[in-house]
Amino acid sequence: MRLQIPIDLLNQIRAHGEAAYPEEGAGFLLGREEGESRRLILILAAENSREDGARRNRYLLPPEELRRAEEAAQSLGLDLLGVFHSHPDHPAQPSEFDREWALPCFSYLITSVQGGKAAGSRSWRLSDDRIKFAEEKILAETEILETRSQK
Amino acid sequence: MSVLKIPSPLRPYAGGAAQMQVTSNTVSGALEELVAAHPQLQPHLFTESGELRAFVNLFVNDENVRDLRGPDTALKPEDSLMILPSIAGGTPLQKVDHAALRTNQAFIIGLSITAYVANAPWLAGLIGLAMVLGTILKVPAFGFVYRHWLREWLKPEVLADNAEPHRFAQGFGAAVELAGFALLAADASFAGWALIWLVIFLAALNLFAGFCAGCMVYYWLNRLHVPGFVKSSPDGTFPGLKPKAG
Repeated sequence: MRLQIPIDLLNQIRAHGEAAYPEEGAGFLLGREEGESRRLILILAAENSREDGARRNRYLLPPEELRRAEEAAQSLGLDLLGVFHSHPDHPAQPSEFDREWALPCFSYLITSVQGGKAAGSRSWRLSDDRIKFAEEKILAETEILETRSQK
Repeated sequence: MSVLKIPSPLRPYAGGAAQMQVTSNTVSGALEELVAAHPQLQPHLFTESGELRAFVNLFVNDENVRDLRGPDTALKPEDSLMILPSIAGGTPLQKVDHAALRTNQAFIIGLSITAYVANAPWLAGLIGLAMVLGTILKVPAFGFVYRHWLREWLKPEVLADNAEPHRFAQGFGAAVELAGFALLAADASFAGWALIWLVIFLAALNLFAGFCAGCMVYYWLNRLHVPGFVKSSPDGTFPGLKPKAG
């Protein structure tokens, strides 16, 4: 399980988390399934729809947003791979609340934003039995190129 | 037959299908058909107790069934039923042992009443100072009694909660208790004991009714964007009420 991300997209996701700080920012990940591997091609930033005051530790993308993301993916011939969101002043690890609300098969890319600066990003997928998240390796584009050149 | 549309994250559990035909004439019946055909979907649509998961939204011809008749909403053959999840998540809450908080409240109540009965303003002052110290050290003032002596007898009640509002509540209580002591020291006996009794009342409200008035004030200040008040009340919990277990 791995998620390949062009470095500029990873930087965009990190910048989105920083811009949303101290609130949580979120959006959708679009790309292609390539067997066990996923390749990120496009991100769709979304507005955090949680009520005022709760956005510091919660994000919500309403069903209409998911529908729009699905339609966008379909029209571009891409797969909806998952969701990215930020954890202000918390590690890039999924919370119990993340697990309760997680959809199977989605990649959950979490960026820790410490004091307004993006600190680290990790990606997770929910297990089939919904009991835990398994981490999927993030491969930034520079690493992908290096891997290819070694072949 | 009606069409049931399946969102992309659930399709792998439905054999990759984006939709299926259902014969049932209600939304709940259509869901039963779906789960019967694809049992792997069950845990992702329903909780262990059989309730629809919070993130699952159902639309009949673009209308949310919550605005219709819920799961009993009728389905006509020409209707389309769409499952469309909400996406949500967030940072984790802390683990707060409410047994330690209850011990603290019980001691504040017991000692403050003792101070009143014994007419001992100095004791009220000591309680106030202990609460200030607890607030500075980020612990319940009398939580050490629970940690050292009561843990064997008192069942821990560890809940996903925010610790900061409880700290704020204790700090607020300390300020009122010390104000009461100051009034007593200045011979304003009625006003002084009135403030001590206010602390007793608020601590009792928390201990016996599970309502933390100081926490509610904290969450109000959060909603008003007052700097430093960064935590919002746990989901599904009225600001100030004790969060539900689990």
